[in-house]
Amino acid sequence: MTIDLNGLGIDYGAILPELIVVGTAIVVLFLDLVVPPDRRGWLAAVTVVGLLGALAASFPLWGQNRAAFGDTVVADSLAAFFNVLLIVISIFTALISPRFLRALELDFGEYYILLLGATAGMMLLAAATSLMTIFLGIELLSISLYVLSGFARTALRSQEAALKYLLLGGFATGFLLYGMALIYGATGSTTLRAIAAYTTAAAASNVLLLVGIALLSVGLAFKVSAAPFHMWTPDVYEGAPTVVTTFMSVATKAAAFAAIGRIFIATFPSISSRWYFPLALIAIFSLFIGNLVAITQDNLKRMLAYSGIAHAGYILLGVLPGTTQGFTATLFYIAAYAVMNFGAFAVVTAIGAGGEQTAELSYWRGLFYRRPFLATVMTIFMLSLAGIPPTVGFFAKLFVFQALVTAQIWAPLVVAVIMTIVSFYYYLRVIVVMLAQPDGAVTESRVGFSTSSVLGAAAVATVFLGLFPAVVLDWASHAASLHF
Amino acid sequence: MSWYTLPANVPWLTLVLLLPLIGALLVALTPSVAVRVIKQLGILTSVITLALVVAIIGGFQQGVGNLHLQFEEGLQWIPSLGISYHLGIDGLSLFLLGLNALLFLIAIVVTDSLTPRLKEFILLLLILEAATAGILLALDLVLFYVFWEAMLVPLYFLIGVWGEGRRVYAAFKFLIYTVIGSFAMLVAILAVAGINFSQTGQLSFDWTVLVQHPAAGVWHLPAGLGSIGIPQLLFFGFALAFAIKMPIFPLHTWLPPAYTASPIPVVIVFAGLVSKLGAYGFLRFNLSLFPDAAHSLGGPLAVLATIGILYGAFMALVQTDLKRLVAYASMSHLGFIGLGIFAGNLLGIEGALVQMINHGVIIAALFLVVGMIERRAGTRDRGELRGLAATAPLFAALFLVVSLAALGLPGLNGFVGEFLIMLGAWSSFVPLAVGAGIGVILAAWYVLRFYQGSTQEAPPQPARFPELRLADVGVLAPLLGLMLVIGISPAFFPAAVDATVKALPVIVR
Repeated sequence: MTIDLNGLGIDYGAILPELIVVGTAIVVLFLDLVVPPDRRGWLAAVTVVGLLGALAASFPLWGQNRAAFGDTVVADSLAAFFNVLLIVISIFTALISPRFLRALELDFGEYYILLLGATAGMMLLAAATSLMTIFLGIELLSISLYVLSGFARTALRSQEAALKYLLLGGFATGFLLYGMALIYGATGSTTLRAIAAYTTAAAASNVLLLVGIALLSVGLAFKVSAAPFHMWTPDVYEGAPTVVTTFMSVATKAAAFAAIGRIFIATFPSISSRWYFPLALIAIFSLFIGNLVAITQDNLKRMLAYSGIAHAGYILLGVLPGTTQGFTATLFYIAAYAVMNFGAFAVVTAIGAGGEQTAELSYWRGLFYRRPFLATVMTIFMLSLAGIPPTVGFFAKLFVFQALVTAQIWAPLVVAVIMTIVSFYYYLRVIVVMLAQPDGAVTESRVGFSTSSVLGAAAVATVFLGLFPAVVLDWASHAASLHF
Repeated sequence: MSWYTLPANVPWLTLVLLLPLIGALLVALTPSVAVRVIKQLGILTSVITLALVVAIIGGFQQGVGNLHLQFEEGLQWIPSLGISYHLGIDGLSLFLLGLNALLFLIAIVVTDSLTPRLKEFILLLLILEAATAGILLALDLVLFYVFWEAMLVPLYFLIGVWGEGRRVYAAFKFLIYTVIGSFAMLVAILAVAGINFSQTGQLSFDWTVLVQHPAAGVWHLPAGLGSIGIPQLLFFGFALAFAIKMPIFPLHTWLPPAYTASPIPVVIVFAGLVSKLGAYGFLRFNLSLFPDAAHSLGGPLAVLATIGILYGAFMALVQTDLKRLVAYASMSHLGFIGLGIFAGNLLGIEGALVQMINHGVIIAALFLVVGMIERRAGTRDRGELRGLAATAPLFAALFLVVSLAALGLPGLNGFVGEFLIMLGAWSSFVPLAVGAGIGVILAAWYVLRFYQGSTQEAPPQPARFPELRLADVGVLAPLLGLMLVIGISPAFFPAAVDATVKALPVIVR
């Protein structure tokens, strides 16, 4: 049997950003052998340079619609949108990592390799248009993150987090794969384009397909930590090294939502009446559980974990209308969430450079008087997460709510509004604690230049996009127009 | 007032917003230890802002412009959703903008230089000034909402950090109440724009666009539970936000702890201005966007407003803490404003507009007096104060003028607004006008008892209450001046807002 290589649509240009990231990982792997142990900051620098290259390679993809490798990946605006988002998150993570890793004596080269691996997996996931590439992307990012979660090898909590994430993640992967198998069985193809062509309104009664979609949704809901598939989130977020939590809390969610968009908005629009209700339930569950349980948390990392569950609910709301307008709101929300939640966790990282116990809220008493810069940027991030203008978090919520009103989806909207009011309690509590009189002098390490630059950039972006959201909204709107 | 014409190519209203923010930036760049510089920067900023606002008021021309709006500025903000940066003023907002600038100046002047973390305090006050000015100027509903929410954050910190007593509890209760109302309004804003879009095909959040196509329609509840008019539903969404902010009985329970916990400079703008923004919201949005609903729901709201008048008055009668007394007095007086608005006729609304200015002036003066008493006597318990006039006759005299204005003596400003409101209420709801009249009598009771009890009789020995200093008189002087001017020429304000009020959809119908 001969294989027609041309017919496979091999097009390395379409996956150039991913290739650069993987290439950088290989370079770092070998550099790690020659760089002396006290100079591992260089690895972070190489990582950042490689990621900047991938960033530059992502811009030309904007506006294209370039299916490649037998319709398994596509280079389009949505992929470019997520590439830029994920690479920026990754660069910021690499910038705040060295100081934190040194403080915890975890400064090993593998960290950057795994970070790049996870980033490549996420970018692949955002570009994937086939069940196989979706699975590849998810596995690549997951396995890297399993190891990263347990990167603090001597800390018991970190090991527990890694094991829990691995076991539950493996379980979710099982659901995902089984769902994919059923969808393949029902439609006879693994590419989303072919599946979309098969799925007409008549497919709404195809049980095999519907069960497949349901199982696939479970796997994806696990990745975005939407309730009731969120159980792993608080423990893993708390146990993993904070800098890893910072990265995974925003990047994983973003990449998985790219896949959700491609699957639900682009592939299965004709049977939206079937997936609307379960997805709405997941969103409502996430809003309830995330916001209500966050109230009781005294550990900031756990609180942010539950807040992340809640935000998964808000982001999912944008998918519900199944429209471009709704998905635009979803994309804007993801970008907003990436900025503000990264910032919030980065503050925890900056403070945690002295040790892990610092995520306890009681430790943050009087932070305004001890560390005014950190407390000020944290206030901005908390206000934004709560959705108070003029921050980007407000417009994220506004656009989602607007999409729901336009689509006349009332019940989830009412839940979201009420739960937003609830969320004020726990976000503002952080500010109140930081404003309280400090108990006594606590010595802490300084914030490095790169960390404060990253924090400053995130805070400025949070406010700037809260004043001028139109540009990013236009990008999101352009990236959200998906169709097969 | 058409005294002169201001150059048209200057963004005057944006300047009103920017000046406090520039001042805030300068304060932020000043080292915390330079308290004198910080305070002087704050005063300078608010003086310039006040001068600018006075210039704008002087250049305002009655009855001119599209929908009587002037100094309009419009810029695209989020074009794809029809959200714009649209500012403008008309008769509804003109004098409140003046009140805004005046009260913030007074608040910053009376701020004690020894206040801990003075820099942040002044900074937040200036940011708050920009936000409240934005509320009065915004003509885009989303822009309005942004300012409305942005106002919350500095207020929350000002109470929660610099307050007294149960300040965190008070700040939090205030916040939760306000946020509940705000989100009801946000949903209503989105729905208003959505309905307008489905009716006209134009997605816009602009008040000047939306006001021309009042929402209509009926929402049929599922399962045959009847139906609700959509305008009524939307009216309710806006009304909840504004009723909480005013507050209207029974949504007032956040008010006593919040006012009591606030430091004096904060409570001056809080009670003097922020409460009026709720009333302004009713006029700007509820009465203009939903005129039919305003007619059908005005009655019940007027009843609640009247209950608020009487409830606030009775509660003021039994308070011993002077700050709480004035807080309840403020609530009672706000009931008059609500009654005037919901009477839904020309006299009532003009009276409410006048009374909004009067209330700001009177309540600010009363809280100033309470602050002076507390600082000098070390207590604000009514039972422990007597004979202040013996050593401080000038203080007693000025306090008397404030008291008489508060109880509505003809010749001073309080009378003008209350009289117009009661005339308006009489033509719509006679029993409520009677109830409001009882409120006036109660006001005389608690105000005079407050005045007499603290200033008359023999002073405690040794009498130590010091006389006012020149600076204290200077702070009270503009407020006293306004009380006299408005009282002596009562037609000035109604005449200035007449054209705008007559054009309100609720009156036109």
